[in-house]
Amino acid sequence: MPKFQEKVALVTGGSSGMGLATAKRFVEEGAFVYISGRRQLELDKAVSLIGRSVAGVQGDVSKLADLDRLYARIASEKGKIDILFAGAGIVDPQPLAETTEESFDKVFAINTRGLASTVKKALPLLNDGGAIIVITSIAENKGIPGFTAYSATKAAVRSFVRTWTAELKDRRIRVNAISPGPIDTPIVEQQAPTKEGADQARAQFAAAVPFGRLGRPEEIASAALFLASDEASFVAGVDLPVDGGMSAL
Amino acid sequence: MSRLRDKIAVITGGTSGIGLAAAQRFAAEGAFVYVFARRQEELGKTVASIGRNVTGVQGDVRKLEDLEKLYARIASDGRKLDVVVANVGAVNSVKLADVSLESFNHNFDTNARVVLFTVQKSLPLLNNGASIILTSTIASLRGFPGRSAYAASKTALRSYARTWTMELKDRGIRVNTITPGPCDTPLIDAETKSPEEAAAVRAKHAANIPLGRMARPEEIAAAMLFLASDESSFVSGSELLVDGGMCSV
Repeated sequence: MPKFQEKVALVTGGSSGMGLATAKRFVEEGAFVYISGRRQLELDKAVSLIGRSVAGVQGDVSKLADLDRLYARIASEKGKIDILFAGAGIVDPQPLAETTEESFDKVFAINTRGLASTVKKALPLLNDGGAIIVITSIAENKGIPGFTAYSATKAAVRSFVRTWTAELKDRRIRVNAISPGPIDTPIVEQQAPTKEGADQARAQFAAAVPFGRLGRPEEIASAALFLASDEASFVAGVDLPVDGGMSAL
Repeated sequence: MSRLRDKIAVITGGTSGIGLAAAQRFAAEGAFVYVFARRQEELGKTVASIGRNVTGVQGDVRKLEDLEKLYARIASDGRKLDVVVANVGAVNSVKLADVSLESFNHNFDTNARVVLFTVQKSLPLLNNGASIILTSTIASLRGFPGRSAYAASKTALRSYARTWTMELKDRGIRVNTITPGPCDTPLIDAETKSPEEAAAVRAKHAANIPLGRMARPEEIAAAMLFLASDESSFVSGSELLVDGGMCSV
């Protein structure tokens, strides 16, 4: 019996990487999934790849008007959301000495403020008893050069999970985070301008993981499936590391 | 319902509460389950309740020779292990001023020492990619009066998960703790003098839990299933909190 029969899910950052893998898995489990992303071309490819029970809505989580448009569409087509996977996020490595205001603000606008807005504006549509899953990062608990803003945005998101667990308890909405270690997704390309650079980055990341490899996006999707489903009916407010043992280092 | 198909699991303390629920769920998901417990009568009831693909092995986790007999039995059955759940624990309530050497030793013996040897002696039988699950307690995360030795001894498990993740990574063996919050079991009725008193105990626990109620043993078992199965293939060295949000707010 599929876990998500009749359920409606929204996956932001759903056109690639962890969001795409999660959207695909949720559809396999019977959900209708809305995916959102900034690039129409990537969204269209993702919708095509998933093939059924999916709709792509272009938008930027840091823009309130885009979020309003997204939720207006879901409201008119489905009238509800059962599962929200807030997967939209960017990285922009800069050593502190070189950090620009623009870079700092951009990362916070999407990863932190945009995520909070995404959840805030979902609340009227979210069913009581629904599930919210956000993406933090192993970076929130580590000192990684270049990651001043990124790590801080993710630590903030971990804090959101606690606050929202307390705020939404009367509606029995469970809010949890997944804290990925290095995962094999296109965000690696965001950090390396050439193919050689990306390959090198992947090799460096893999060497830092006790398991000796990057995580697969599907391994994040299966954790998301667990947290979104009734299997996790008593799991609330957690930050679950999915990092090949890296937080044990 | 076959997420553990063809897998072999051993559960210590598997005849009541969370351990029993885990044994039932694992067997329902296709695993062959060895249940290890002290009392033959309880073992018989457990095996009868599960029906098939289960064997009870009698023994005391605190005796190394009984642990050796357990694993010798599994080996002589021609089996290797995919899942080890070290679930036995000794809990008591003693304020610091009244802690005796005997009660201190009892907690540390059963909760810290026993778990190490339970896992150590399983090592030759573990398949690559096996999953080890250690049952901890929220008492290790919070200050609860009366739990000096209990909480401290259970805190060892979180540390074991990190150490053993690093030691066993080359065999792909994952080690995690599961940390249940207050769980509703018949023990509450057994330890109170009237239904009213039992209800008051349940209500007192629920008041501290965002989800507004205690856990059902099946909910802890479902989280153990996630850790036992391939769904958590990139999760190791972590602590999965199943506490209805209690420790996160």
